[in-house]
Amino acid sequence: MTSKLKQIKDWPWLVLSPVVIFVLIGIFAPWIMQYNPAAQNYDATLQGPSWQHWFGTDYLGRDIFSRIVGGARISLVAMAIVLVAALAIGVTIGSFAGYVGGRVELVLISVIDIALALPSLVIALALIGILGTGYWSMITALTLAWWANYARMSRAVVTAELQQPYIEAARVMGASHIWIFVRHILPHVLGLVVVYASADAGALVLAIATLSFLGLGVAPPTPEWGQMLVDGMSYIEEYPRLVILPGMALTLVVVSFNLLGEAFALQKVPRPVRGGLLRKRRRARAEEEQARQAAERKAASA
Amino acid sequence: MKSVLIKRFLLACFLIVAASALTFALVAAAPGNVAALIAERAAGPGADAEMIRKIGDELGLYDPLPLRYARWLASAATGDLGVSLRTGKPVAEEFAARIPMTAALLGGGGLIAFLLSLTLGIAGAASNGRLADRVIHGFSLVGASTPNFFVAALLVIVFSVTLGWLPTFGTSGFQSWLLPWATIALFPASVLSRVVRVNLQEAMSRPFATTGFAKGYTRSSVLLREALPNIAIPYLTTFGAQFTLMIIGSIVVETVFALRGVGAFFIDAIRFRDFVGMQSTLLLFIIFFVMTNLLVDIICMLVDPRIRRARSA
Amino acid sequence: MTSQVEPLYAINDLVIDLYAATVSVRAVDGVSLHVMPGETVAIVGESGSGKTVSTLGPLGLLPEGVTVDVRGTAKAGGKDLVGMASARLSQMRGAYFGVIFQDPISALNPMLKVGPQLAEQARRFCGLSHEAARKEAVSLLARSGIPDPEDRYNRYPHEMSGGMLQRAMIALALAARPKVLIADEPTTALDATVQAQILELIRQIQRDNDIGVILITHDIGAVASVADRVVVLYAGQVAEEGSVLDVLTSPVHPYTRGLLASVPDFRAEDRVEAHEIPGLPPNQIKLEPGCRFAERCEHVEPQCRVERPPLRTIAAPGTPHRVACPVVIRREGIAVQ
Repeated sequence: MTSKLKQIKDWPWLVLSPVVIFVLIGIFAPWIMQYNPAAQNYDATLQGPSWQHWFGTDYLGRDIFSRIVGGARISLVAMAIVLVAALAIGVTIGSFAGYVGGRVELVLISVIDIALALPSLVIALALIGILGTGYWSMITALTLAWWANYARMSRAVVTAELQQPYIEAARVMGASHIWIFVRHILPHVLGLVVVYASADAGALVLAIATLSFLGLGVAPPTPEWGQMLVDGMSYIEEYPRLVILPGMALTLVVVSFNLLGEAFALQKVPRPVRGGLLRKRRRARAEEEQARQAAERKAASA
Repeated sequence: MKSVLIKRFLLACFLIVAASALTFALVAAAPGNVAALIAERAAGPGADAEMIRKIGDELGLYDPLPLRYARWLASAATGDLGVSLRTGKPVAEEFAARIPMTAALLGGGGLIAFLLSLTLGIAGAASNGRLADRVIHGFSLVGASTPNFFVAALLVIVFSVTLGWLPTFGTSGFQSWLLPWATIALFPASVLSRVVRVNLQEAMSRPFATTGFAKGYTRSSVLLREALPNIAIPYLTTFGAQFTLMIIGSIVVETVFALRGVGAFFIDAIRFRDFVGMQSTLLLFIIFFVMTNLLVDIICMLVDPRIRRARSA
Repeated sequence: MTSQVEPLYAINDLVIDLYAATVSVRAVDGVSLHVMPGETVAIVGESGSGKTVSTLGPLGLLPEGVTVDVRGTAKAGGKDLVGMASARLSQMRGAYFGVIFQDPISALNPMLKVGPQLAEQARRFCGLSHEAARKEAVSLLARSGIPDPEDRYNRYPHEMSGGMLQRAMIALALAARPKVLIADEPTTALDATVQAQILELIRQIQRDNDIGVILITHDIGAVASVADRVVVLYAGQVAEEGSVLDVLTSPVHPYTRGLLASVPDFRAEDRVEAHEIPGLPPNQIKLEPGCRFAERCEHVEPQCRVERPPLRTIAAPGTPHRVACPVVIRREGIAVQ
């Protein structure tokens, strides 16, 4: 228990803050936006940054700042829906396969393996080709492309947990399958999968933007970063701002999630102490040593 | 060793058949069938049911699915992939023209990613926590987070618009390839340099690295002689995964730089609901993915003496 | 013993601080020890007592991931290793020292063949040609007791057993014809039947080559069978040192006595039961005045907790016998030089 507490304390909580900021901006977007992100104003097209329009306006006179904030909301919502849906499907199928075992497991694993034989985004593209373009078909396609990873992970955890002696003990004591699963196994599965998913969220934000950039995701009037970027490409020579601003917003969000993922992954690697921290620790050690010498001298002279 | 190879190869073939069957079934289940689309294109929106039926019959669309799949796979094996609904040309012909383009893109990008990731990863490990290591870490983090269409846009802004050094599109000469290669290589190079860095650090903390120091080597020699061979397996495995992911990059890059490759063909097929083109491209992708993975597996087996010489142990 | 012969490796007043991400540890706290040509010195102590850090620390052979600060001197071949430029230190490590590690399976690189590594060492440090170096490597394998050395030359570590690997490790350590061989718990990871063979091999090599051997161990049996002198370390300080006979048969420091008593069936008259020293060794994170053993000692007096016990030489013929416990010396009326 103490080691758990220590882990929580040692964890670099600061890493979470950019992600939290992104989520807050997404949630409170309607209050942050000064303009309707879709409102066109032909009297104020392609303006530079000003007090009225912090980031300027685009070729239809839409306020870029509002569109970027609105884009955060779109990305956040789409990502959350896909993540939750993919998690639900993946954990259900994976856990079921792992718990039931036998031939059912074999079939499900084969399906998972086939799904994992292709990069997720290629699967999503193929599904969009079949379903047609649009917001919900993008959500559906991404969900169906993303679940397999979680399924494989869940199955691995369930299989490992089933080997634990306490499961056998619970069974002997007459616990039902559902009870054992929900009470003993599911927490382990969710523990691992949710950590993985939070780091994976960055990849999902990228995927959503990429699909929109390719014209296969969020459709034009809605502000979406990838779509804003492709819109701005025609003006790249005179107004690179139209491309750079949404691109920066997107990159910042993905960097935040990747930092989070790295913090999870790199926790265990020991690194030598350097720089200011090392100087501080050396000074502390030297002071300690002087104190000891003084104490020993005093004792010797007494 | 030999039997393992044969097993792997058979598994790869099975994966290709299974995955393509799955995509075939999905595409076949798509709303709006091929016959209707063809009829529509031939006769405008007013194509009647009779015409659709006739075309469907000709194409064998009303036969049972397994039969249709077998027929499609058999003809695909002979090089007949059907006629693209979008361009009206045989898909095989399209591929013949487009595959060299995409192969050049992937090959060049893959080579850059390979060289850049090893250079950056080793330089980072050699610097071990000092300034260069941190700078490289920051670069790889941003590189692995920047969407490649944004990378492409930035490169165009800097090198084409501002400096005017490189063309924004076309395939005239070596120079026109630089931006597409740089764009497609940045993401895998960033991810792989992290893999190199982290695994080198892990290897340097293992006892055999200490033995390397005891043999009288300097840190950089230990890094290259003792640690580097030990990261071959994780590196090659990730390289394979990243190389297959470069297909996504090629789709984006071919769109941005107006290159007429397979990726662009795939996107057009999706946009125009060209099911024949889509299905063929997916088959091509599946073969590429499975074969890349198989190749990586084989190289790993050859590289690792514990697997290569397993029998003589 | 006070002849003109210089020690091969002599560390003096060595202090080593280790800085890890969350703690600073004083692993070695003022240790002096040396090894003469043709001598085997055993360094004994619990894990964490600074056995390994004090001998391998000055050589720069501690695992990466912690920052190591070394103070004091560590003289080898007339040069001080502390503060030496890293390229020269690497050269010294290769040419002057040979090191045998605890677990040969993890200490030998799984991706490298055993034989060529030996040949490489012979080529780099003994100036042999490719062909001569290869012959030398095969001969080294043979001398290390490896059967069919020609065949083993091209083997990878995973193709050999633990005992064979430790023999290969020994051959590797000797390939550059070092002056000092440091064996860091060379038998701990091995089967009991192989342990004795490996120790015998080390002893034989020591005799054949007239090199100095430092044997780091917590195995008292190994000390008795191969060492000439013993240094007992406790919490980064020398508790007692002397000839094997003196220290093992008439130990003075309470820690040495406790350590010997904890070995079952070591002395015939003491075979009733193995004793255990109560308590745990200090963590060495905080520097505190006084004797480090005071907390666990049955002879503890108030002065023990404030004054660092000096290392006194006990009057005895031959090898000096030094003990860092004025209390027992006084109580038992032991004569001091």
